Amino acid sequence: MTIHYYTNWFSSIEKLADRSIRPVNWIANIPLRIEGWADLRSTDRSVIEKENLRLKQESLIYRGQLQRMAELAAENLRLRLLLNATELLTDSILVTEVIGVSPSPQSHTLSIDRGLQDGAYVGQPILDAEGLMGQIISVFDNHSVALLITDNTHAIPVQVLRNGMRSIAEGTSDYNNIQLRFLSPTADIREGDELVSSGLGGRFPPGYPVGSVLSIEKIEGKEFLEINVQPAAEIDRSKHLLLVFTSQDGSRNGNVQ
Amino acid sequence: MTSKRYYLIVIVSLILASVLQLIPTSAAWLPWKPNFLLLMVIGWITFQPNHWGIGFAAFVGFLTDLVFRSPLGLHVFLFVFIGAVPYLLSGWLIYFNVIHRCVLVFILIIFSGFLSNFMYSVWGVPVGYGDVPLGAISSVLIWPLIDRFLVKVHEKRR
Repeated sequence: MTIHYYTNWFSSIEKLADRSIRPVNWIANIPLRIEGWADLRSTDRSVIEKENLRLKQESLIYRGQLQRMAELAAENLRLRLLLNATELLTDSILVTEVIGVSPSPQSHTLSIDRGLQDGAYVGQPILDAEGLMGQIISVFDNHSVALLITDNTHAIPVQVLRNGMRSIAEGTSDYNNIQLRFLSPTADIREGDELVSSGLGGRFPPGYPVGSVLSIEKIEGKEFLEINVQPAAEIDRSKHLLLVFTSQDGSRNGNVQ
Repeated sequence: MTSKRYYLIVIVSLILASVLQLIPTSAAWLPWKPNFLLLMVIGWITFQPNHWGIGFAAFVGFLTDLVFRSPLGLHVFLFVFIGAVPYLLSGWLIYFNVIHRCVLVFILIIFSGFLSNFMYSVWGVPVGYGDVPLGAISSVLIWPLIDRFLVKVHEKRR
């Protein structure tokens, strides 16, 4: 057990198990699919029309904001060139769906319906509409397994949006909580501060929302602050996720699929 | 009941338990989710101790490790440990009524939850001991259904 917990020696068995369990996962998802189908069938036409109208308006607003973003990105690029800085990586995304969730409260993983055939790779970040969810840890032909940022074995380099202060956010096995590590009592951090990925380590692209500071506690006898963070992503609720490809991956560039 | 049909029922019950275990649940409801696979182990060992013993518990434990993506051996250890209790008490349990068996299941699930959490805490994983009784309560609530099903299978088998 301990060898398995601390090493990857049994990864081949895990992969075999993942393949074998996939049909069971598919069956286990049937109630959710029926729920979705029933929701759609039972929803009043006028409600759907209203929602459609709202989505169209939202789309228009986002497209307008995107144009502004494009202008800012171009300006940012020009400034970086003037400073001889390296070019910012451009990200593209691929929409994916959750097909399975780990039933154990101690293991925060989920399965998604994209795999090698779609260009998914180990270490690839995934996010939902609100923020970063985690990263892929196993890839199969047509599905993958992702480790969530709330898993206690996961850590992500973050920075405070307000002042750029860096830290590490670690999972706590609680879907609604991650913790910041190694911040001294004199650190400039407040409740409500927004945290984004810092990009350090090269695994997660910089600038994606990770969460916001929920509480800061100074515990007697402890050298560092205990800082609880509410994840930005809806970790246990999101059904549709996004796989992020940076320009380094070479395949997709600035596309949404 | 033919042996073929009997073994088919056992296999289907394990598959069904795996499916129920894997149905996605929100974080708020996760602690309330019963351990269906452990309930099946307790059930089959209680009613058919001559057929299903420690080896069966170890096999289902291994299956559970794969389903839960937990360290291999954790559930093997837990299920063998928990399965040994109904195995040793099997001569008596069959004469207990369903309420007595519910009490036993409650105690076993509580014990299993604490043991599992203790194992995780040894590896430094934060665990919530307060959630353990929730799973035990929901397990006891569905146990009468499993009990009734297994009593019927047992009667037909005789």
